Amino acid sequence: MLTLPMTLNMTVETETAKIARGLRERDMELVADLVERCQHRLVRYLLYLTGRREYAEDLVQETWIRVLQRGSQYNGRQRFDPWLFAIARNLAIDYLRKKRKAVQTASLPNDRDAMLLLPSSDPSPFEAAARSEDAMRLAGRLQILPPLYREALLLRFQEDLSLAEMAQVLGAPTTTVTSRIYRGLAALRSAFEEGDSHGG
Amino acid sequence: MEGDKRFRELIDKSFVEEVSEGERRLIHDHIRHCDDCKRYLELTARTIRGLREFTFTSEPDSSAQVREILAHHTGTMRQHDVQFKIWAAFAVALSMSIVGSALVYQMAKLLTVPTHFDTAQVQAGVLVFWLLPSFCSALRLLAAPGENRGIA
Repeated sequence: MLTLPMTLNMTVETETAKIARGLRERDMELVADLVERCQHRLVRYLLYLTGRREYAEDLVQETWIRVLQRGSQYNGRQRFDPWLFAIARNLAIDYLRKKRKAVQTASLPNDRDAMLLLPSSDPSPFEAAARSEDAMRLAGRLQILPPLYREALLLRFQEDLSLAEMAQVLGAPTTTVTSRIYRGLAALRSAFEEGDSHGG
Repeated sequence: MEGDKRFRELIDKSFVEEVSEGERRLIHDHIRHCDDCKRYLELTARTIRGLREFTFTSEPDSSAQVREILAHHTGTMRQHDVQFKIWAAFAVALSMSIVGSALVYQMAKLLTVPTHFDTAQVQAGVLVFWLLPSFCSALRLLAAPGENRGIA
């Protein structure tokens, strides 16, 4: 009875060890495979974090380049995804910080970066991605939800990361992680509560 | 109300963390007679379900674009690695030739008396037969073509 979980565990270890070795050796075949597997989820994560598609698209390439540069730091003992998200998160925070600074120091009204931070007239990425009536209801809330809560909800309910893995990505204790999830859930749940009470 | 609050926290916990079988049964028993908490549980489940009903599409050629950029970047990084190794090898070889020459010179100086050479001859000998060849060998590392250069 013990052999199956042990075999599964060994398979996971082999997979992550293979990724670690490939990254250390800058194996382009492996990197291309990782891009293929994770690109979609990376874009989604960055969208949740930044709330804007153009920022997410910018950051995706940066993230992969950083993965290549820092590949030797991935030890292969944990899953690859949390490590990837942690890299993307650090880059996104720096990126958003620079954008905010650019807006604060912008002297010209038509400064490109300042314009980028103005509210976009395009539909929010969440509305564009909603595939059901319920998702459409949540989309508006997600757009105004603080990114920290949005991120926590995504990692838990879409990426299915464990609380420990989330703590690793967010660089925060698990108590903080759970509290962000609960608050995020409460904010989104109210979209249905209000909607239903208005609807009668 | 206080009791409901506790159950709602337990309901949240059941979606986010592991709950024991006892706690699960507790929730189940409670919602059978508490409509508010039952509705709370349904709304929470609906919210989480709703969250999974977003489909984000990335640009169709974005993966290919990223792969292309990474391939180019890897090439550049490999070139930098080779350059670094060449200069590192050169630095090591140069230091070895200087240190080695100094040691050889000290040894040769001791032999000046039994061999009847003067200091200038010893200096010239060390320079011609030791320092210059080893310095040339170090320089050769920089001159060798492509991947064969340095210790790469």
